[in-house]
Amino acid sequence: MVEVQHLSYNFGSQWALKDINFSLGKGEFLFLTGHSGAGKTTLLRLLYGALPLTKGRATVAGFELHRLKRRHVPGLRRRVGVVFQDFKILPRRSVFENVAMALEVRGMARSPLERRVRAIIRAMGLETKSYTLCERLSGGEQQRVAIARSMVTNPELILADEPTGNLDFDLTMHLMDIFKQFHTYGTSIIMATHSREVLEAVPDARILHLEQGRVVELDGETIMESEEEFA
Amino acid sequence: MIGQLFRLSGRGLADFKIHPWAHLLTLVAVAMVTLLAGFILLSLHNINIHLLKSRGEVQFQIYWRSDASPELIQTQWEKIGTMEYLQEIKGFTPQDALVELAETLGKTGDFSWLKEQNPLPYSALTSFAVPPEAQQEGWAADLLTKLKAMDGVAEVHYTPLQADLAKGWRVISRAIIWPIIGFLGMVVALVVGNTIRLSLLTRQDEIEILSLVGARPWYVRWPLLTGGMVQGLLGSAAGVGLLKLAQNALADSLNIAPLFIEIRFLPMEQVLALCGAVTLVSAISSWVAVR
Ligand SMILES: Nc1ncnc2c1ncn2[C@@H]1O[C@H](COP(=O)(O)OP(=O)(O)O)[C@@H](O)[C@H]1O
Ligand SMILES: [Mg+2]
Repeated sequence: MVEVQHLSYNFGSQWALKDINFSLGKGEFLFLTGHSGAGKTTLLRLLYGALPLTKGRATVAGFELHRLKRRHVPGLRRRVGVVFQDFKILPRRSVFENVAMALEVRGMARSPLERRVRAIIRAMGLETKSYTLCERLSGGEQQRVAIARSMVTNPELILADEPTGNLDFDLTMHLMDIFKQFHTYGTSIIMATHSREVLEAVPDARILHLEQGRVVELDGETIMESEEEFA
Repeated sequence: MIGQLFRLSGRGLADFKIHPWAHLLTLVAVAMVTLLAGFILLSLHNINIHLLKSRGEVQFQIYWRSDASPELIQTQWEKIGTMEYLQEIKGFTPQDALVELAETLGKTGDFSWLKEQNPLPYSALTSFAVPPEAQQEGWAADLLTKLKAMDGVAEVHYTPLQADLAKGWRVISRAIIWPIIGFLGMVVALVVGNTIRLSLLTRQDEIEILSLVGARPWYVRWPLLTGGMVQGLLGSAAGVGLLKLAQNALADSLNIAPLFIEIRFLPMEQVLALCGAVTLVSAISSWVAVR
């Protein structure tokens, strides 16, 4: 599903990622851990084509990112559901409209679209707020809208950037249950997090630990000597 | 697919609600530019009509060689008599010509002594009136060539002044019309393009998100494109409407002695071409703006 080889990325003179290698099979669950600034977001952005791959190779859902043309980016993004760290939902649109957007761009017919959007909104516990504008929602509710939008398309791969960052324990566990449910149906998931609770919610998940843009630990194996205590 | 296009177009139109003033001002600007272009076209159109209406007339004086037989000349007069757009033909035998000459000279001229050895050739005075819609490029010259090519014809003189004047006017009007059209087109493109860019900027977040969830570029551009196109369409329609009102008000203002010029409206195909051009320019400029 995901294959990354010798991937490096720099913002100007600063290396955000250095020689990353890992692969993710179909249906696997991988956590990206590491302190703030370790490079988790940058890695995820590379994987959904928001940043151009400049060094190394990567394949995501059959798309070779190192030779990805601009016109192929929409195709890649239709195969991958993304939960953004900053949600990226439209405040002046309703919950329903925000979630439906992901299906509309695929040209899905109206009635199956409505059915699916309603189902996922219900699963997120937002059914009473379907027609509320997102700007009226709390941070946690907005986060759930973002998650609903990434899942409504039933993607093969979900990339989630700290999807439970703002939520309390109960809600975090509720949403982790939903992610786990998708996982058991065979969806591959890469989730960036620095929360222990989240890690413990999926005990059989793999873990890739980043430190200053380098892989320090993968699947319990030390790749490099860590210079920090694991948070 | 079609339903989706309609929905996207609707979204483009909904942008008018976000910036009602900007879009309204753009509409007014497009209408004004259309009106201005329409005025220019209308003036050219009317000048053309009046110039050509009176200038479609041309006269040819045809002289036959002295060795041409009277029978041949007789049949040719008949042939000319059947030509298209002929107003009048007046044939002169040498005798007729002599009488005519004598008449013009009055009492002082008595040419009866020339009767036996008349030096004047057979000739004919023809006048044609070609209606404006049948006047192709060089129509007068074509007529001239045709007449000259006839058997036994020695010379053809013609009064080219009027036809040449019309031709000169056409050259001039063509020379001024293109720069003006280019300039007005540029104005429309800038005005519409900027408004669409404004829509684009306020929808920046939406566009980013749409692209992040896998929208193809046309999906993002279509609403903006329809917005620009509708502005061109509505604006040019409004401009043509105003032009019609102005023409109605002014139609008879010059229809007084000695001018008797009735200002006529543009023919339908010119109206359609004007609206089409404005709409096309609007669509292209919004396409460029959202690229
Ligand atoms: N757009 C950017 N321009 C310059 N530097 C950036 C940009 N985005 C991230 N970085 C830098 O790249 C490094 C990794 O950032 P990021 O991937 O956001 O880390 P994380 O998500 O793990 O907190 C940081 O040092 C950050 O300052
Ligand atoms: Mg981050």
